[in-house]
Amino acid sequence: MPDDKKPLITPWRVILAIIFAAGLYATYLRFAVGWSAATNMSDAQPWGIWVGLATLCGVGLSAGGFATAAAVYLLGMERYRPICRTAIIIAFLGYGSVCVGYAYELGLPWRFWHPVVYWNRHSVLFEVCWCIIMYTTVLAIEFSPALVEKLPWKSLREWYLHWHHRIVIAFVLAGVLLSSLHQSFLGGLFIITKGKEYPLWYSTHLTTLFYLSAIPAGLAMIVIALYLSVRSLNVKIDPEILRELSAVLVPLLAIFAIFRGVDLAHEGGLGYLFRWRSETGYFWLEMALFVFIPIVLLNLERIRNSPVALYWTSAIVVMGFIANRINVSITGLERATHAGYTPKWSELAITVMLMTCAVLAFRYAVLYLDILPRSLAEKRAKWLANAGVVANA
Amino acid sequence: MAENKKALLIDITKCIGCHSCEVACKAAHELPGDPEPNLSETAFTTVQEHAGKNIRRLCMHCEEPACASACLVGALKKTSYGPVAYDKTKCIGCRYCMIACPNSVPKYEWSKLVPYVKKCDMCVNRVVQGQPTACAEACPTGATMFGGRDQLLREARRRLDNDSSYVQHIYGEREFGGTSVFFISDVPFENLGFTVAPAEEPLPQLTQAALGEVPTVVLVGGSLLAGLYWITQRRREVALAEAAEKASRKEERN
Ligand code: SF4
Ligand code: SF4
Ligand code: SF4
Repeated sequence: MPDDKKPLITPWRVILAIIFAAGLYATYLRFAVGWSAATNMSDAQPWGIWVGLATLCGVGLSAGGFATAAAVYLLGMERYRPICRTAIIIAFLGYGSVCVGYAYELGLPWRFWHPVVYWNRHSVLFEVCWCIIMYTTVLAIEFSPALVEKLPWKSLREWYLHWHHRIVIAFVLAGVLLSSLHQSFLGGLFIITKGKEYPLWYSTHLTTLFYLSAIPAGLAMIVIALYLSVRSLNVKIDPEILRELSAVLVPLLAIFAIFRGVDLAHEGGLGYLFRWRSETGYFWLEMALFVFIPIVLLNLERIRNSPVALYWTSAIVVMGFIANRINVSITGLERATHAGYTPKWSELAITVMLMTCAVLAFRYAVLYLDILPRSLAEKRAKWLANAGVVANA
Repeated sequence: MAENKKALLIDITKCIGCHSCEVACKAAHELPGDPEPNLSETAFTTVQEHAGKNIRRLCMHCEEPACASACLVGALKKTSYGPVAYDKTKCIGCRYCMIACPNSVPKYEWSKLVPYVKKCDMCVNRVVQGQPTACAEACPTGATMFGGRDQLLREARRRLDNDSSYVQHIYGEREFGGTSVFFISDVPFENLGFTVAPAEEPLPQLTQAALGEVPTVVLVGGSLLAGLYWITQRRREVALAEAAEKASRKEERN
């Protein structure tokens, strides 16, 4: 709980104030002055980091939500039930901020409902859009008990939780399918850029590549959130869980790396691996951060046994993931379109503000809702729910 | 012969670089300003110099347009007359069409608070009334010709056959899966800044292959997951039953 004795002005609050002041001013620029004032986007680079960072990474890093829900609900891995809500709320906040981000990204945001009415089923973006709408709904339903539990009306609470418990599995199943499709389609958006996308990133299997990279990145994100919650939000979880999660990362990253290599050979990108060009550098940076460094680190006993080291390793994975998405959506298109794009401060300010909102929401959710167990004893009774019977037996 | 599907044929050898097409286009679409060096939200066409030749730039009006397949609300559509037209009342401003077009033709009104996509519409309003495009009408040398698509292809072929100084290639006949704007030239197209077509098949087909997998993924994935869930439940029931049995045996022993 927040400490009443804390001073009103702390360094963190000052930083927050700066982030929001900058973000709100950038918002004013975007909506009242115009695109050119708020962004460096141009005809050559029409998407920029709002798509590259906010959308592609926001959604990608939420992938832990469906992976964990699947592990717990569908595969019966009860050990992970305590972190299930964390994963789901991260996903919900991730998707939520992506949805808010669209208000900035779309040229005519007040027409956000058009895709519901005007359909083009040949468009990958159409599928992406529908998956976002449906999966955000699913996440809200999956997450709702955490809020309903806190309602003062007992009978409503019990009635809701009773029904929720019965039908949630259908939503989990739908959620796993929807987000799998959705993660893949974000890559699928770029399949049509054949000839524009640099060969190190173009592939007709961008769907699979995006899917395979989103899962480890999503898990890394959960490791980060869990570590931070334990450290500063007075949350107690079995440290072994962090260790196990990061152990899963290694094979997942390796699978991605192998698929990426085979795919590059298949699509004829191998010849570009060592050319003296800026793209080559970005490519190897991405591979180092997302694949090589984490795999080496996670094979060291010392790293695996230290939560803080696992936290930093996960952070490297997340950075590698961001590098990959930015490479696909920005770096890879620059050469063909002669864009020379670097984001304007206001583009970054808005993205940072939206991310900060998500982090703050996460913090307050952990503090005021039962997202994570606050003591190890509480764990058994409360967090194992119906399956507690099995675990206790 | 009144052929329904129209097209443009641009003979680079005949273009004198007078910019009449560009001026006429601006007038017909109420676009401001003087001739511009590049396509922009106020220049649907432009005349550039490459290797000493005058090259018109404009939308190719692909037979299977990448832009239209990308547009999630169907604001861009290939009409039966040939033009790829834009319905500004549907557009939400996602700009995916700009990413998708292999020639980066669609431009955006970045300076406006209510911005729309801008590109050559092959004068669709004139074409449906049986008139030629403004640029073709204005061209003093016949370098830009308007006509039925098949008829223009035949004409282009005839010129290539009769004069061997032409590069024996009609740009647009097969590029991007075929287009409604054709170029013929006496200098290789690679040297004139033309996009080398990235694929034999129209680009939207690449996407369709990926989208076509959706029903399979949903069906197979769905039943797989449901099966896994069933197994999990079954295991749990067995474990519960065993636990209960163990407990009752314990009681008996006591
Ligand atoms: S050239 Fe580009 S904008 Fe024109 S029809 Fe083809 S894909 Fe669309
Ligand atoms: S910007 Fe408009 S026309 Fe282009 S794809 Fe998006 S909705 Fe369609
Ligand atoms: S066809 Fe019409 S819109 Fe296109 S360049 Fe010619 S005059 Fe302009």
